[in-house]
Amino acid sequence: MSYGPLLFLGILFTLASSWVGLVLLPHRQMGALGQHTDTNTAAIYPAARSGEAQQGAEHYRSLGCVYCHTQQVRPEGYGSDIERGWGRRRTVSRDYIHDKTVMLGTMRTGPDLTNIGERQSDAAWHYRHLYNPQITSPGSIMPPHAFLFDTRAIGPAGRSTNALVLEGPLAPPAGHEVVPTRRAEQLVAYLRSLKSSGDLPEAPVKKEEAQ
Amino acid sequence: MSVIAFILLGSVVLLPAAGLLALRWATSTGQFRCPDKAALLPFDEVEPVGMETDCILGGNRR
Amino acid sequence: MINQSQTLQNKTLRALLPGDALTGGGTEGGKKAALAEIDASCRVPVLFFFLSGLAWLLAGTILALVASIKLHTPGFLAGWEWLTFANVRTAHLNTVIYGFASQISVGVTIWLMCRLCRIPLVAPGLITVANLFYNLGVTVGVGGILIGDSTAIEWLEMPRYATPILFISYALIAVWTIVTFRLRAERHLYVSQWYLLAAVLWFPWLYGTAQVMLLIEPVRGVVQAAVNWWFAHNVLGLWFTPIGLASIYYFIPKVIGRPIHSYYLSVLGFWSLALFYNWNGMHHLVGGPLPAWMITVSIVASVMMLIPVITVAINHHFTMVGHFGKLKYSPTLRFMVFGAVSYTLASLQGVASAVRSISEVTHFTHHTIAHAHLGMYAFFTMVMFGAMYYILPRITHREWPSNGLISLHFWGVALGIVLYVVPMSIMGFIQGTMLNDAAVRFLDVVQFTLPWLKLRTLAGLLLAAGHLAFVINVGWLLVRMFEPYRKPVVRILTGEAETVAAAKLP
Repeated sequence: MSYGPLLFLGILFTLASSWVGLVLLPHRQMGALGQHTDTNTAAIYPAARSGEAQQGAEHYRSLGCVYCHTQQVRPEGYGSDIERGWGRRRTVSRDYIHDKTVMLGTMRTGPDLTNIGERQSDAAWHYRHLYNPQITSPGSIMPPHAFLFDTRAIGPAGRSTNALVLEGPLAPPAGHEVVPTRRAEQLVAYLRSLKSSGDLPEAPVKKEEAQ
Repeated sequence: MSVIAFILLGSVVLLPAAGLLALRWATSTGQFRCPDKAALLPFDEVEPVGMETDCILGGNRR
Repeated sequence: MINQSQTLQNKTLRALLPGDALTGGGTEGGKKAALAEIDASCRVPVLFFFLSGLAWLLAGTILALVASIKLHTPGFLAGWEWLTFANVRTAHLNTVIYGFASQISVGVTIWLMCRLCRIPLVAPGLITVANLFYNLGVTVGVGGILIGDSTAIEWLEMPRYATPILFISYALIAVWTIVTFRLRAERHLYVSQWYLLAAVLWFPWLYGTAQVMLLIEPVRGVVQAAVNWWFAHNVLGLWFTPIGLASIYYFIPKVIGRPIHSYYLSVLGFWSLALFYNWNGMHHLVGGPLPAWMITVSIVASVMMLIPVITVAINHHFTMVGHFGKLKYSPTLRFMVFGAVSYTLASLQGVASAVRSISEVTHFTHHTIAHAHLGMYAFFTMVMFGAMYYILPRITHREWPSNGLISLHFWGVALGIVLYVVPMSIMGFIQGTMLNDAAVRFLDVVQFTLPWLKLRTLAGLLLAAGHLAFVINVGWLLVRMFEPYRKPVVRILTGEAETVAAAKLP
């Protein structure tokens, strides 16, 4: 049997169908989504990120955080995402319009980070956690990111204000301190900017939780 | 939304139409006549049906 | 005895095929080349693809082991930034998918296309250039990932300065395949050729589209995720799966000397795969922030995959019925049948995981990782190993040097992958159940996975041992190419030796 023409047409036609269906149509439907302005409070959501946090998002991408941490909250009653406090509501398309690379993730070796900015708002916690996760989360299998920090001699002006509080075997040698690099500062700025608190018509935050 | 509806309606008409045309072409040119003979294409005179071609392990079997 | 039965079979064959189909030189198409002549013409390009593929396999195996150890011992090699878990894991995926599996696929495609089109290899220069571009692309891409330029888009992590190089290579491969197809001496098409043609045309389209929409001119918001999973799932469904199935459809009948069980079913299987597989991608986003219609469409398409999967399963397994004894003698058949059975299992597992209620548990867990390895390794890689066992002796015209190494390879990887997939699937399911119970602390879930992750490292060591055995055997085979040809004791090249001598080849 020589299926030549039918074969070629079929090969092109089948893939074209899903390309239209799963790529072009969604692009038309969601590609131009904008911010939502609340008619009562005039609050705009999602707000644009600061430049510092934008830089941090690039480090988040480059360090491959997405391979262990998701950034998507499944709806109430589907998984335990909301009960675990990973978000106040399910995430929807509009939540991601400012992301240069959308990093939804597919694996939860670590917890979801959609709402990490609300769950851990303390920058010092993030620095210590990044430096060595065992400090804040004993038993974690997250690798230490000590390369995002500098160990340096304490200058004549005394200890830096942003130096990490480290004890025991992790403490730096006497007369030295551990300080975050620019990259660590930007990454933590990004992590702290991750909040899913905005009320959207398509995904309202439950009222008693919003208080 | 109208564009989506247009594409969806269009494909609802076009897909079965293309399928029917392909089917008509296939039957009229005899594509469905005795397709099982195509199953013999991997074989030829040197390596005909019934000849095993890969007996390595367990010593010389032939 | 054998001669008599061969004559008999030839008569049957003549009765079934049109007059000129066997003798060649008919009105349609050119003169059909002898198999040995075709094999010899494929030698250099196919060896290029196989050997560079195997080099990437070794690199990918080492990266896999490092990543696996890091996941249960996070302090392992933690000082080097370029060796973080994320980098090593991503480099592993890209070396084995693009460096190893794709290159072996291309090697197998070249050989199968030439054999089924019944012509010696055409345009060897074109395909060799494609190979050079390919290896350059993978090297630049994996290097980029390790220095932190990963795009963090799954299956498309290579930075955008590497992907166009690979695209050129894929385009050249597609052009070569079409040229070969147009010049074919055998006008009739076998089902393997459909799958191969489809794969080489689908993939550059997929890869090009995904590059443009994600790396060069990125779309906005979650449309990225849609493009990402449309692409990533289709790499499996429209690139690896068709090439794997094409190989099974050729090699099982060839090794046992019996045509495929039902050619009708293979037609149905091909078209249903072409129709449904490419709509599957969004099942990676169940519960995610995309419109419900997209995810529902993909779940429906995933369930529809039962049609091609069952037809292919019936066809492969019924062809084998009554011939299982041959598994003892043929390494190709062993790997192929292992792969064919795994294809059925992987597909059924995939259909199940796409269903909402099951995805609720297994999504985001190691169950998905186990599924990926069941598909990519237990099915696809095993089939490619089987194909190489058949092709390499024929293109080099040398016998496999060591049967012991073949057995070590098979049992190492067979046990290794079973020890990988089965416990990880179970563990992932339990992990998902624990994650869905908000009363269980997250760190307790992490602690629960640790012993299972250590077991995975053990499985990885078995796989590595198998790979090593195979590479040694291949290396040994190559050394033999430089020795004068001796008539082998165990003759797997039966029937070919004379023809090759006539073609004035070593």
